Amino acid sequence: MKTLPRFIILVVAAIVALAPLVIDGQTKTAPKVWTPPKTPWGDPDIQGLWPGQDMVGTPLERDRSLGTRAFLTDEEFAKKVAFSEEQNEIDTAEYVNRNPRIARGGRFVTCEEDPNLCRNGVRIGPPNYWDERGKPTKQASLVMDPPDGRLPPLTPEAQKLQADRAAARRARPCATAPGGCHDTWEDESLWDRCITRGLVGSVLPNGYNTGNQIVQSPGYVVFRNEMIHEARVIPVDGRPHSNANIRTWMGESRGHWEGSTLVVETSNFLPGIPVANTPTSDALRVVERFTPTDADTLSYQLTVEDMKTWTKPWTVSFPLKRSKDYAVYEYACHEGNYYMYNALSGSRSEEKKK
Amino acid sequence: MRSMQNIAFGFVVLCLFGTAAWAHHAFAAEFDINQPVKLQGKVQKMEWINPHAWIHVDVAGPEGKVVTWMVEGGSPNILLRRGFTKESLMPGTDITVEGYRAKNGEYRANGSNITFKDGKRLFLGGSNPDDPENRGKK
Repeated sequence: MKTLPRFIILVVAAIVALAPLVIDGQTKTAPKVWTPPKTPWGDPDIQGLWPGQDMVGTPLERDRSLGTRAFLTDEEFAKKVAFSEEQNEIDTAEYVNRNPRIARGGRFVTCEEDPNLCRNGVRIGPPNYWDERGKPTKQASLVMDPPDGRLPPLTPEAQKLQADRAAARRARPCATAPGGCHDTWEDESLWDRCITRGLVGSVLPNGYNTGNQIVQSPGYVVFRNEMIHEARVIPVDGRPHSNANIRTWMGESRGHWEGSTLVVETSNFLPGIPVANTPTSDALRVVERFTPTDADTLSYQLTVEDMKTWTKPWTVSFPLKRSKDYAVYEYACHEGNYYMYNALSGSRSEEKKK
Repeated sequence: MRSMQNIAFGFVVLCLFGTAAWAHHAFAAEFDINQPVKLQGKVQKMEWINPHAWIHVDVAGPEGKVVTWMVEGGSPNILLRRGFTKESLMPGTDITVEGYRAKNGEYRANGSNITFKDGKRLFLGGSNPDDPENRGKK
Protein backbone atom coordinates (compact mmCIF):
# COMPACT_ATOMS: atom_id res chain seq x y z
CA MET A 1 0.00 0.00 0.00
CA LYS A 2 2.98 2.24 0.61
CA THR A 3 3.95 2.20 -3.07
CA LEU A 4 0.62 3.56 -4.36
CA PRO A 5 0.87 7.07 -2.82
CA ARG A 6 4.50 7.20 -3.94
CA PHE A 7 3.40 6.30 -7.46
CA ILE A 8 0.71 9.01 -7.42
CA ILE A 9 3.25 11.59 -6.23
CA LEU A 10 5.59 10.57 -9.04
CA VAL A 11 2.87 10.83 -11.67
CA VAL A 12 1.74 14.26 -10.40
CA ALA A 13 5.36 15.44 -10.31
CA ALA A 14 5.89 14.23 -13.86
CA ILE A 15 2.75 16.02 -15.08
CA VAL A 16 3.79 19.25 -13.35
CA ALA A 17 7.29 18.98 -14.80
CA LEU A 18 6.10 18.31 -18.33
CA ALA A 19 3.22 20.83 -18.34
CA PRO A 20 5.30 23.88 -19.32
CA LEU A 21 6.80 21.97 -22.25
CA VAL A 22 3.38 20.88 -23.48
CA ILE A 23 1.92 24.36 -23.07
CA ASP A 24 4.95 25.84 -24.77
CA GLY A 25 4.62 23.45 -27.67
CA GLN A 26 0.93 24.11 -28.12
CA THR A 27 0.66 27.83 -27.54
CA LYS A 28 3.87 29.70 -28.26
CA THR A 29 4.81 27.85 -31.42
CA ALA A 30 1.44 26.48 -32.53
CA PRO A 31 0.71 27.81 -36.03
CA LYS A 32 -2.75 28.86 -37.19
CA VAL A 33 -4.31 25.95 -39.03
CA TRP A 34 -5.88 26.09 -42.47
CA THR A 35 -8.15 23.24 -43.48
CA PRO A 36 -6.94 21.75 -46.73
CA PRO A 37 -9.10 19.78 -49.16
CA LYS A 38 -9.45 16.04 -48.54
CA THR A 39 -8.03 13.19 -50.56
CA PRO A 40 -10.63 10.84 -52.12
CA TRP A 41 -10.09 8.51 -49.13
CA GLY A 42 -10.69 11.31 -46.61
CA ASP A 43 -7.22 12.36 -45.37
CA PRO A 44 -6.15 16.03 -45.43
CA ASP A 45 -4.49 16.56 -48.81
CA ILE A 46 -1.05 18.16 -48.38
CA GLN A 47 0.45 16.72 -51.54
CA GLY A 48 2.80 18.80 -53.66
CA LEU A 49 6.26 20.26 -54.00
CA TRP A 50 7.52 22.00 -50.87
CA PRO A 51 11.14 23.06 -51.49
CA GLY A 52 13.09 24.47 -48.56
CA GLN A 53 15.13 26.71 -50.92
CA ASP A 54 13.99 30.04 -49.44
CA MET A 55 15.38 29.15 -46.01
CA VAL A 56 18.90 28.21 -47.13
CA GLY A 57 20.30 31.51 -45.80
CA THR A 58 18.69 31.17 -42.36
CA PRO A 59 21.23 29.78 -39.88
CA LEU A 60 20.46 26.74 -37.76
CA GLU A 61 21.42 28.52 -34.54
CA ARG A 62 20.66 32.12 -33.65
CA ASP A 63 23.28 34.78 -33.13
CA ARG A 64 23.79 34.99 -29.36
CA SER A 65 23.38 38.77 -29.38
CA LEU A 66 19.69 38.38 -30.29
CA GLY A 67 18.89 36.41 -27.14
CA THR A 68 15.32 35.14 -27.16
CA ARG A 69 14.27 37.40 -30.04
CA ALA A 70 13.35 34.98 -32.83
CA PHE A 71 12.78 37.55 -35.58
CA LEU A 72 14.93 40.39 -36.87
CA THR A 73 13.91 44.04 -36.65
CA ASP A 74 13.35 45.95 -39.89
CA GLU A 75 16.80 47.49 -39.52
CA GLU A 76 18.52 44.14 -38.96
CA PHE A 77 16.60 42.67 -41.86
CA ALA A 78 17.71 45.53 -44.13
CA LYS A 79 21.33 44.67 -43.25
CA LYS A 80 20.67 41.02 -44.10
CA VAL A 81 19.21 42.05 -47.46
CA ALA A 82 22.28 44.20 -48.16
CA PHE A 83 24.52 41.26 -47.21
CA SER A 84 22.60 38.99 -49.55
CA GLU A 85 22.92 41.51 -52.39
CA GLU A 86 26.65 41.73 -51.79
CA GLN A 87 26.90 37.93 -51.84
CA ASN A 88 24.99 37.91 -55.11
CA GLU A 89 27.46 40.44 -56.53
CA ILE A 90 30.37 38.24 -55.49
CA ASP A 91 28.70 35.19 -56.99
CA THR A 92 28.16 36.86 -60.33
CA ALA A 93 31.18 39.15 -60.53
CA GLU A 94 32.19 39.66 -64.16
CA TYR A 95 35.72 40.61 -63.27
CA VAL A 96 38.08 39.14 -60.78
CA ASN A 97 37.89 41.04 -57.54
CA ARG A 98 41.28 41.78 -56.08
CA ASN A 99 39.90 42.22 -52.58
CA PRO A 100 38.27 38.85 -52.00
CA ARG A 101 35.37 38.84 -49.61
CA ILE A 102 34.37 35.63 -47.87
CA ALA A 103 31.04 35.28 -46.10
CA ARG A 104 31.51 34.39 -42.46
CA GLY A 105 29.15 34.85 -39.54
CA GLY A 106 26.79 37.19 -41.33
CA ARG A 107 29.49 39.50 -42.74
CA PHE A 108 32.31 39.44 -45.26
CA VAL A 109 35.90 39.06 -44.18
CA THR A 110 39.23 38.97 -46.00
CA CYS A 111 41.97 36.36 -45.83
CA GLU A 112 43.99 38.82 -43.74
CA GLU A 113 41.19 39.20 -41.22
CA ASP A 114 40.77 35.46 -40.77
CA PRO A 115 43.83 33.48 -41.91
CA ASN A 116 42.05 30.23 -40.98
CA LEU A 117 39.92 30.63 -44.09
CA CYS A 118 42.91 30.59 -46.39
CA ARG A 119 46.21 28.91 -47.02
CA ASN A 120 49.09 30.91 -48.49
CA GLY A 121 46.67 33.78 -48.80
CA VAL A 122 44.34 31.68 -50.95
CA ARG A 123 40.77 30.82 -50.10
CA ILE A 124 40.09 27.11 -50.41
CA GLY A 125 36.71 25.98 -51.59
CA PRO A 126 34.52 25.42 -54.59
CA PRO A 127 33.23 28.17 -56.89
CA ASN A 128 30.43 30.29 -55.50
CA TYR A 129 27.98 29.21 -58.15
CA TRP A 130 27.90 25.71 -56.66
CA ASP A 131 25.73 26.93 -53.80
CA GLU A 132 22.17 28.09 -53.53
CA ARG A 133 21.66 31.11 -51.31
CA GLY A 134 17.98 31.22 -50.43
CA LYS A 135 16.15 34.43 -49.63
CA PRO A 136 16.83 36.76 -46.74
CA THR A 137 14.23 36.00 -44.06
CA LYS A 138 13.32 37.76 -40.84
CA GLN A 139 13.48 34.46 -38.97
CA ALA A 140 16.76 34.65 -37.05
CA SER A 141 17.39 30.91 -36.77
CA LEU A 142 15.88 27.59 -37.74
CA VAL A 143 16.03 26.47 -34.08
CA MET A 144 12.98 27.99 -32.37
CA ASP A 145 13.10 26.04 -29.11
CA PRO A 146 15.03 26.45 -26.75
CA PRO A 147 13.83 30.06 -26.85
CA ASP A 148 17.36 31.41 -27.41
CA GLY A 149 17.51 29.55 -30.75
CA ARG A 150 20.63 27.65 -29.69
CA LEU A 151 21.12 23.91 -29.38
CA PRO A 152 20.99 22.71 -25.77
CA PRO A 153 24.28 21.59 -24.16
CA LEU A 154 25.57 18.11 -24.90
CA THR A 155 25.27 15.53 -22.15
CA PRO A 156 28.49 14.72 -20.23
CA GLU A 157 28.47 11.33 -22.02
CA ALA A 158 28.29 13.00 -25.47
CA GLN A 159 30.95 15.57 -24.51
CA LYS A 160 33.31 12.75 -23.54
CA LEU A 161 32.60 10.90 -26.79
CA GLN A 162 33.25 14.07 -28.77
CA ALA A 163 36.53 14.75 -26.90
CA ASP A 164 37.65 11.14 -27.41
CA ARG A 165 36.91 11.31 -31.12
CA ALA A 166 38.80 14.60 -31.46
CA ALA A 167 41.79 13.16 -29.57
CA ALA A 168 41.80 10.07 -31.80
CA ARG A 169 41.72 12.32 -34.89
CA ARG A 170 44.59 14.46 -33.64
CA ALA A 171 46.68 11.36 -32.90
CA ARG A 172 46.66 10.28 -36.56
CA PRO A 173 49.67 11.23 -38.71
CA CYS A 174 47.32 12.63 -41.37
CA ALA A 175 45.76 15.09 -38.91
CA THR A 176 47.94 17.94 -40.13
CA ALA A 177 47.68 17.10 -43.85
CA PRO A 178 46.06 19.73 -46.06
CA GLY A 179 42.48 18.62 -46.52
CA GLY A 180 42.56 16.32 -43.49
CA CYS A 181 42.57 12.53 -43.31
CA HIS A 182 41.77 10.50 -46.41
CA ASP A 183 43.37 7.17 -45.61
CA THR A 184 40.34 5.03 -46.26
CA TRP A 185 36.85 5.28 -47.66
CA GLU A 186 35.67 5.34 -44.06
CA ASP A 187 37.32 8.75 -43.63
CA GLU A 188 34.71 10.15 -45.99
CA SER A 189 31.37 11.20 -44.55
CA LEU A 190 28.09 9.40 -45.19
CA TRP A 191 27.16 12.39 -47.36
CA ASP A 192 30.44 12.27 -49.32
CA ARG A 193 29.83 8.60 -49.86
CA CYS A 194 26.36 9.42 -51.20
CA ILE A 195 24.78 7.15 -48.62
CA THR A 196 22.55 9.56 -46.75
CA ARG A 197 22.34 12.80 -44.85
CA GLY A 198 19.92 11.16 -42.42
CA LEU A 199 16.40 12.38 -41.73
CA VAL A 200 17.33 15.74 -40.22
CA GLY A 201 20.14 16.49 -42.69
CA SER A 202 17.88 15.66 -45.62
CA VAL A 203 15.20 18.14 -44.68
CA LEU A 204 17.17 21.07 -43.26
CA PRO A 205 17.70 23.67 -46.01
CA ASN A 206 21.41 23.68 -46.71
CA GLY A 207 23.59 24.34 -49.76
CA TYR A 208 21.66 22.84 -52.61
CA ASN A 209 19.15 20.14 -53.58
CA THR A 210 16.56 21.39 -51.11
CA GLY A 211 13.52 19.98 -52.91
CA ASN A 212 10.82 18.19 -50.92
CA GLN A 213 7.75 16.45 -52.23
CA ILE A 214 4.74 14.93 -50.49
CA VAL A 215 2.75 12.17 -52.17
CA GLN A 216 -0.18 10.43 -50.48
CA SER A 217 -2.02 7.16 -51.00
CA PRO A 218 -4.53 5.34 -48.77
CA GLY A 219 -2.73 4.56 -45.51
CA TYR A 220 0.58 6.16 -46.53
CA VAL A 221 2.34 9.49 -46.91
CA VAL A 222 5.62 9.60 -48.83
CA PHE A 223 8.02 12.41 -47.96
CA ARG A 224 10.67 12.69 -50.63
CA ASN A 225 13.87 14.75 -50.26
CA GLU A 226 15.95 15.73 -53.25
CA MET A 227 19.29 15.45 -51.46
CA ILE A 228 20.54 11.86 -51.84
CA HIS A 229 17.08 11.08 -53.24
CA GLU A 230 15.58 9.94 -49.95
CA ALA A 231 11.93 8.85 -49.91
CA ARG A 232 10.36 7.98 -46.57
CA VAL A 233 7.25 5.85 -46.90
CA ILE A 234 5.28 6.74 -43.76
CA PRO A 235 2.36 4.50 -42.76
CA VAL A 236 -0.51 6.53 -41.30
CA ASP A 237 -2.69 3.53 -40.45
CA GLY A 238 -1.84 3.29 -36.77
CA ARG A 239 0.56 0.35 -36.98
CA PRO A 240 3.23 0.13 -34.27
CA HIS A 241 6.98 0.38 -34.78
CA SER A 242 8.96 -2.69 -35.76
CA ASN A 243 11.31 -4.39 -33.36
CA ALA A 244 13.83 -1.85 -32.02
CA ASN A 245 16.64 -4.04 -33.34
CA ILE A 246 15.68 -3.14 -36.91
CA ARG A 247 17.53 0.10 -37.53
CA THR A 248 18.33 2.28 -40.56
CA TRP A 249 20.00 5.62 -41.32
CA MET A 250 16.63 7.26 -41.99
CA GLY A 251 14.89 5.49 -39.10
CA GLU A 252 11.39 4.13 -39.14
CA SER A 253 8.54 6.61 -39.39
CA ARG A 254 4.96 6.27 -38.19
CA GLY A 255 2.43 9.01 -38.86
CA HIS A 256 -1.02 10.06 -37.76
CA TRP A 257 -3.33 13.00 -38.38
CA GLU A 258 -4.20 15.46 -35.63
CA GLY A 259 -6.92 17.41 -37.42
CA SER A 260 -5.17 18.81 -40.50
CA THR A 261 -1.70 18.34 -39.03
CA LEU A 262 0.36 15.34 -40.05
CA VAL A 263 2.44 14.17 -37.09
CA VAL A 264 5.32 11.82 -37.88
CA GLU A 265 7.30 10.09 -35.18
CA THR A 266 10.55 8.40 -36.23
CA SER A 267 12.80 6.11 -34.24
CA ASN A 268 14.90 2.97 -34.89
CA PHE A 269 17.83 5.00 -36.21
CA LEU A 270 21.28 3.52 -36.61
CA PRO A 271 23.56 5.23 -34.11
CA GLY A 272 26.16 7.64 -35.49
CA ILE A 273 24.11 9.59 -38.00
CA PRO A 274 25.24 13.21 -37.67
CA VAL A 275 22.66 15.81 -36.68
CA ALA A 276 23.94 19.40 -36.53
CA ASN A 277 27.48 18.00 -36.94
CA THR A 278 27.09 15.78 -33.87
CA PRO A 279 26.88 12.00 -34.16
CA THR A 280 23.61 10.88 -32.55
CA SER A 281 22.88 7.82 -30.42
CA ASP A 282 20.50 4.88 -30.67
CA ALA A 283 18.10 6.88 -28.47
CA LEU A 284 17.42 9.40 -31.26
CA ARG A 285 13.74 10.09 -31.82
CA VAL A 286 12.41 12.73 -34.21
CA VAL A 287 8.89 14.16 -34.21
CA GLU A 288 7.76 16.20 -37.20
CA ARG A 289 4.57 18.24 -37.54
CA PHE A 290 3.33 19.35 -40.98
CA THR A 291 0.58 21.94 -40.50
CA PRO A 292 -1.09 23.66 -43.46
CA THR A 293 -1.48 27.36 -42.62
CA ASP A 294 -2.82 28.44 -46.01
CA ALA A 295 -3.19 26.89 -49.47
CA ASP A 296 0.50 27.39 -50.23
CA THR A 297 2.22 27.15 -46.85
CA LEU A 298 3.07 24.24 -44.60
CA SER A 299 4.38 25.05 -41.18
CA TYR A 300 7.11 22.47 -40.66
CA GLN A 301 8.27 21.64 -37.16
CA LEU A 302 10.90 19.07 -36.26
CA THR A 303 11.80 18.09 -32.71
CA VAL A 304 15.01 16.18 -32.01
CA GLU A 305 15.07 14.09 -28.87
CA ASP A 306 18.24 12.24 -28.00
CA MET A 307 18.75 12.28 -24.27
CA LYS A 308 22.08 10.48 -24.63
CA THR A 309 23.38 13.35 -26.79
CA TRP A 310 21.59 16.60 -25.83
CA THR A 311 20.45 17.49 -22.34
CA LYS A 312 16.98 18.35 -23.63
CA PRO A 313 14.96 18.15 -26.85
CA TRP A 314 15.22 20.97 -29.38
CA THR A 315 12.89 22.09 -32.14
CA VAL A 316 13.45 23.53 -35.57
CA SER A 317 10.54 25.30 -37.20
CA PHE A 318 10.16 27.03 -40.54
CA PRO A 319 7.58 27.52 -43.30
CA LEU A 320 7.69 25.40 -46.44
CA LYS A 321 6.23 27.24 -49.44
CA ARG A 322 4.39 25.34 -52.15
CA SER A 323 5.99 25.51 -55.57
CA LYS A 324 4.16 24.62 -58.73
CA ASP A 325 7.24 24.51 -60.92
CA TYR A 326 10.13 23.33 -58.76
CA ALA A 327 11.61 20.25 -60.37
CA VAL A 328 13.01 17.56 -58.07
CA TYR A 329 15.87 16.34 -60.22
CA GLU A 330 17.25 12.85 -60.08
CA TYR A 331 20.23 12.64 -57.77
CA ALA A 332 21.99 9.47 -58.77
CA CYS A 333 24.86 10.33 -56.47
CA HIS A 334 28.10 8.37 -56.74
CA GLU A 335 27.41 6.83 -60.12
CA GLY A 336 30.66 7.66 -61.83
CA ASN A 337 31.61 10.08 -59.09
CA TYR A 338 35.35 10.69 -59.07
CA TYR A 339 35.63 12.26 -55.63
CA MET A 340 36.60 9.15 -53.70
CA TYR A 341 39.37 8.30 -56.15
CA ASN A 342 40.68 11.89 -56.33
CA ALA A 343 40.71 12.39 -52.56
CA LEU A 344 42.38 9.07 -51.72
CA SER A 345 44.91 9.18 -54.58
CA GLY A 346 45.58 12.89 -53.93
CA SER A 347 46.42 12.13 -50.31
CA ARG A 348 48.72 9.26 -51.35
CA SER A 349 50.53 11.67 -53.71
CA GLU A 350 50.96 14.14 -50.83
CA GLU A 351 52.47 11.38 -48.67
CA LYS A 352 54.98 10.44 -51.35
CA LYS A 353 56.21 14.06 -51.51
CA LYS A 354 57.19 13.95 -47.84
CA MET B 1 54.97 37.47 -67.91
CA ARG B 2 51.63 36.54 -69.32
CA SER B 3 51.74 33.16 -67.60
CA MET B 4 52.64 34.80 -64.30
CA GLN B 5 49.63 37.02 -64.71
CA ASN B 6 47.52 33.97 -65.36
CA ILE B 7 48.79 32.30 -62.24
CA ALA B 8 48.11 35.42 -60.17
CA PHE B 9 44.71 35.66 -61.82
CA GLY B 10 44.00 32.04 -60.92
CA PHE B 11 44.94 32.63 -57.33
CA VAL B 12 42.64 35.59 -57.06
CA VAL B 13 39.85 33.58 -58.66
CA LEU B 14 40.28 30.97 -55.97
CA CYS B 15 39.98 33.70 -53.36
CA LEU B 16 36.42 34.18 -54.53
CA PHE B 17 35.52 30.60 -53.83
CA GLY B 18 33.41 29.04 -51.27
CA THR B 19 31.03 29.62 -48.44
CA ALA B 20 30.44 28.04 -45.09
CA ALA B 21 27.40 26.29 -46.52
CA TRP B 22 29.41 23.97 -48.72
CA ALA B 23 30.20 20.88 -46.73
CA HIS B 24 30.20 18.30 -49.44
CA HIS B 25 33.63 17.05 -50.50
CA ALA B 26 36.99 18.16 -49.20
CA PHE B 27 38.29 20.48 -51.92
CA ALA B 28 41.77 20.60 -50.38
CA ALA B 29 42.04 16.80 -50.46
CA GLU B 30 41.43 16.63 -54.20
CA PHE B 31 42.99 19.77 -55.65
CA ASP B 32 46.28 21.58 -55.20
CA ILE B 33 46.02 25.32 -54.62
CA ASN B 34 49.68 25.58 -55.60
CA GLN B 35 48.94 24.33 -59.11
CA PRO B 36 46.59 26.80 -60.80
CA VAL B 37 45.91 25.91 -64.41
CA LYS B 38 44.49 27.79 -67.36
CA LEU B 39 43.30 25.43 -70.06
CA GLN B 40 42.34 26.42 -73.58
CA GLY B 41 40.67 23.81 -75.69
CA LYS B 42 37.59 22.27 -77.21
CA VAL B 43 34.83 20.58 -75.27
CA GLN B 44 34.98 16.85 -75.94
CA LYS B 45 32.01 15.85 -73.81
CA MET B 46 30.16 16.66 -70.64
CA GLU B 47 29.42 14.09 -67.94
CA TRP B 48 26.17 15.00 -66.19
CA ILE B 49 26.78 13.01 -63.02
CA ASN B 50 26.05 13.75 -59.39
CA PRO B 51 27.32 15.05 -57.13
CA HIS B 52 29.62 16.81 -59.63
CA ALA B 53 29.48 17.27 -63.36
CA TRP B 54 32.73 16.79 -65.32
CA ILE B 55 33.65 18.61 -68.50
CA HIS B 56 36.16 16.84 -70.74
CA VAL B 57 38.30 19.33 -72.65
CA ASP B 58 40.81 18.53 -75.42
CA VAL B 59 43.77 20.80 -74.84
CA ALA B 60 46.61 21.10 -77.38
CA GLY B 61 50.03 21.28 -75.76
CA PRO B 62 52.95 23.42 -77.01
CA GLU B 63 54.08 20.65 -79.40
CA GLY B 64 50.61 20.07 -80.69
CA LYS B 65 49.96 16.94 -78.66
CA VAL B 66 46.36 16.90 -77.50
CA VAL B 67 45.64 15.97 -73.91
CA THR B 68 42.15 15.45 -72.57
CA TRP B 69 41.59 17.21 -69.25
CA MET B 70 38.67 16.52 -66.95
CA VAL B 71 37.31 19.58 -65.23
CA GLU B 72 35.00 19.33 -62.24
CA GLY B 73 31.85 21.42 -62.07
CA GLY B 74 29.03 21.77 -59.57
CA SER B 75 26.15 19.35 -59.16
CA PRO B 76 24.12 19.00 -62.37
CA ASN B 77 21.08 19.88 -60.28
CA ILE B 78 22.55 23.28 -59.40
CA LEU B 79 23.88 23.81 -62.92
CA LEU B 80 20.41 23.20 -64.35
CA ARG B 81 18.86 25.66 -61.88
CA ARG B 82 21.48 28.21 -62.88
CA GLY B 83 20.31 27.95 -66.46
CA PHE B 84 22.99 25.55 -67.71
CA THR B 85 21.48 23.22 -70.29
CA LYS B 86 22.88 20.32 -72.24
CA GLU B 87 23.32 22.73 -75.14
CA SER B 88 25.49 25.12 -73.08
CA LEU B 89 28.74 23.30 -73.74
CA MET B 90 28.32 21.34 -76.92
CA PRO B 91 31.21 19.16 -78.13
CA GLY B 92 33.65 21.27 -80.15
CA THR B 93 32.96 24.52 -78.25
CA ASP B 94 36.12 26.55 -77.68
CA ILE B 95 36.51 27.39 -74.02
CA THR B 96 39.09 28.57 -71.54
CA VAL B 97 38.91 27.08 -68.08
CA GLU B 98 40.73 28.27 -65.02
CA GLY B 99 41.07 26.05 -62.03
CA TYR B 100 43.37 23.97 -59.86
CA ARG B 101 45.00 20.73 -60.80
CA ALA B 102 44.29 17.46 -58.99
CA LYS B 103 46.86 16.52 -56.35
CA ASN B 104 47.29 13.07 -57.87
CA GLY B 105 48.98 14.72 -60.86
CA GLU B 106 46.48 13.45 -63.40
CA TYR B 107 44.93 15.66 -66.07
CA ARG B 108 42.09 16.68 -63.82
CA ALA B 109 41.18 20.03 -62.36
CA ASN B 110 38.57 21.88 -60.45
CA GLY B 111 36.88 24.41 -62.72
CA SER B 112 36.35 27.96 -61.61
CA ASN B 113 35.89 30.35 -64.51
CA ILE B 114 34.74 29.16 -67.90
CA THR B 115 35.14 31.66 -70.72
CA PHE B 116 33.91 31.34 -74.29
CA LYS B 117 35.88 32.41 -77.35
CA ASP B 118 33.99 35.71 -77.55
CA GLY B 119 34.99 36.53 -73.98
CA LYS B 120 31.62 35.76 -72.44
CA ARG B 121 31.74 33.89 -69.20
CA LEU B 122 29.56 30.97 -68.26
CA PHE B 123 27.43 31.87 -65.20
CA LEU B 124 29.43 34.92 -64.27
CA GLY B 125 27.91 38.33 -64.85
CA GLY B 126 24.71 36.70 -66.07
CA SER B 127 26.47 36.15 -69.36
CA ASN B 128 25.33 32.59 -69.87
CA PRO B 129 23.38 32.85 -73.12
CA ASP B 130 21.27 29.89 -72.06
CA ASP B 131 20.20 31.51 -68.82
CA PRO B 132 16.43 32.04 -69.20
CA GLU B 133 16.94 35.68 -68.17
CA ASN B 134 19.40 36.23 -71.00
CA ARG B 135 17.47 34.61 -73.82
CA GLY B 136 16.89 37.03 -76.64
CA LYS B 137 19.62 39.36 -75.41
CA LYS B 138 22.38 37.87 -77.52
